[in-house]
Amino acid sequence: MSVTTERPAASSAPAGRPDNGPVAWITTTDHKKIGVLYCVTAFAFFLIGGALAGAMRAELADTGSQLVGPQSYNTLFTVHGIIMIFLFVAPFGIGLANYLIPLQIGAPDMAFPRLNAMSYWFFAGGGLLVLLSSFATDAGGVATGWYLYPPLSGPRYSPGVGPDLLILGLALVAISTLMSGVNVITTTFLMRAPGMTMWRLPVFTWNAVVTAVLGLVAFPPAVAAFVLLLFDRRLGGQAFDPAGGGDPIVYQHLFWFLGHPEVYILILPFFGVITEIIPVFSRKPLFGYTGFLLATLTIGALSTGVWAHHMFTTGVVDNPFFSAMTFMIAVPTGVKFFNWIGTMWGGKISFRVPMLFSIGFLLNFLIGGVTGVMLASAPLDFQLADSYFLVSHFHYTMMGGSVFGIFAAIYFWWPKAFGFRLSERLGRGVFSLMFVGFNLTFWPQFVVGLRGMPRRIVDYAPGLGWDTPNLVSSLGVVVLSAGVLLFLVDVSTSRRRRTPAGDDPWGGYSLEWATSSPPPEHNFSSLPRIRSERPAFDTHHPELAIGPVTAPPPEPT
Amino acid sequence: MRFALRYLWAYSAFGLGLGTVYYALTQEWVGSIALWFLGLMPAIVALWWARHGPSPAVREADDPEADPAASAGASLGSFPMATAWPALLVAGVIVIGASLVYGLILLPVGAAMLVWAVVGLARESRG
Repeated sequence: MSVTTERPAASSAPAGRPDNGPVAWITTTDHKKIGVLYCVTAFAFFLIGGALAGAMRAELADTGSQLVGPQSYNTLFTVHGIIMIFLFVAPFGIGLANYLIPLQIGAPDMAFPRLNAMSYWFFAGGGLLVLLSSFATDAGGVATGWYLYPPLSGPRYSPGVGPDLLILGLALVAISTLMSGVNVITTTFLMRAPGMTMWRLPVFTWNAVVTAVLGLVAFPPAVAAFVLLLFDRRLGGQAFDPAGGGDPIVYQHLFWFLGHPEVYILILPFFGVITEIIPVFSRKPLFGYTGFLLATLTIGALSTGVWAHHMFTTGVVDNPFFSAMTFMIAVPTGVKFFNWIGTMWGGKISFRVPMLFSIGFLLNFLIGGVTGVMLASAPLDFQLADSYFLVSHFHYTMMGGSVFGIFAAIYFWWPKAFGFRLSERLGRGVFSLMFVGFNLTFWPQFVVGLRGMPRRIVDYAPGLGWDTPNLVSSLGVVVLSAGVLLFLVDVSTSRRRRTPAGDDPWGGYSLEWATSSPPPEHNFSSLPRIRSERPAFDTHHPELAIGPVTAPPPEPT
Repeated sequence: MRFALRYLWAYSAFGLGLGTVYYALTQEWVGSIALWFLGLMPAIVALWWARHGPSPAVREADDPEADPAASAGASLGSFPMATAWPALLVAGVIVIGASLVYGLILLPVGAAMLVWAVVGLARESRG
């Protein structure tokens, strides 16, 4: 069944069909419900991945064997990495894009609603296969590391069906990302409301578009690599087997042609999130909107030319080329910091929970970014590759950055999505525990990395100066986990209390704050005139707007 | 839309240029081909767009002075309310994939689910 939708007039009753039963969720094509499904499923994967991380830190808290053996430990870090990267952070960004883009550009839905539903089910199905590959096979879970490098992931060293299921699962997740990318780009380019020019698009939408382009560029080579690997494993292929004329380095090229843009796929949506939040809570427009967008486009382009900095130590790539490209990408990222600080500078800053998480993002990501520049230097990378320094750098960008961005987004858009607020008091507690716990966990890992501790080891000898930092790091995970648990408590108690949020609880800037909370089916019963990149603010404060913003009543037809 | 077109052309030039520089420096084929494809893909979309031009709705979106009231009531197209076919289609793909791992006996089951879902989707989308 379908419904023909018309451009909304100044006022008309929303044609809603409220139905929240399980069948309605399974068969939904509404971008808002699909967005929520994406985010909830991804968050469930976060809890699983986090539990695996907790088990790893418990093992490393002290020398000697605490909890798991070497093979199980290998499975833990493999599955943790795959879940967090492919099943949590990236899909959460897609979920946010699904929910927000039509609302932010004044569209009734995504361009291809059925394709949108299909992309969610490909993601959920792929995630299920990944979990099965790890925990439901006789030969034990996959223990190759999230790169799945051959020959370790080949049939000789990783027999059993686990890696096959994992490859299939990742292929489905990749297909899901490609479908979402097509939908995001088509929706944004072709379904904008009248007056929503490309230079008035909200920055989150712009970042989601660049992320979608990166997904379309980066995933096909990786899918090709996964399929070739499956052929090698199941059908006797020799694409990556030197004995048969294959080359495992080709796999590394194909994988990292995904792997490094993937890092930006994981962070760009959350650059967009905090760039929506910081101006609202600084009561100022974004400082340097155009420069910010050009920096985003530059990051999107440069990120496709840095893949082999992950392969410096193979000795078969052009290290100066990739070193130079990686140094260059720090420039547009620095521009963004300039935008964020410039926006806050002189603003009337209100330290609400979304803003706290955004500031936490800035601090953590700054450390992750600076250590990334260190690793871009090939001579330093030869020393630090495969050490805990690298682990810490990666988590400062992905967890300190993306995950703090995710929590900022949850606290910011929750009232819009569900019509009630989360607790400000508990939210501050969540932020405090997570910020302290995160830094307690990962700062000591810089220290042990510089002292030479390699990653992916299940045990270490005493007396190397690694004991205390590892213990502190493991205690940090306890604090961090307490923050996540407190968040779940916050959601549970707020759901029961249901304090009404109103349509625009923060004084938001972009178009989603001009509709009701939660928004009606097909999003808008009326659209304001769009005369700047802050249409909701212009509507609610016409005295400060550029030109008239209130739409006149429609002509009777 | 002119900006979107320029963006696609710029991305295309970047991919083709960087691929050429990379090949000249390294003579490494995997990365060079990937970068050249990075240049070709947006060029294909940009060429199509340049030939066909923007739709009236896109021209309206690109008009900085456009008024939503002027186009109130204009059709935005047909949007499906609910469908079970995407979930069934993905279930079929998963069963087909699992047949490669667990045995080809699953293949006909997965294929049947997939065909059923594709036919259902096609019929549904025709209204």
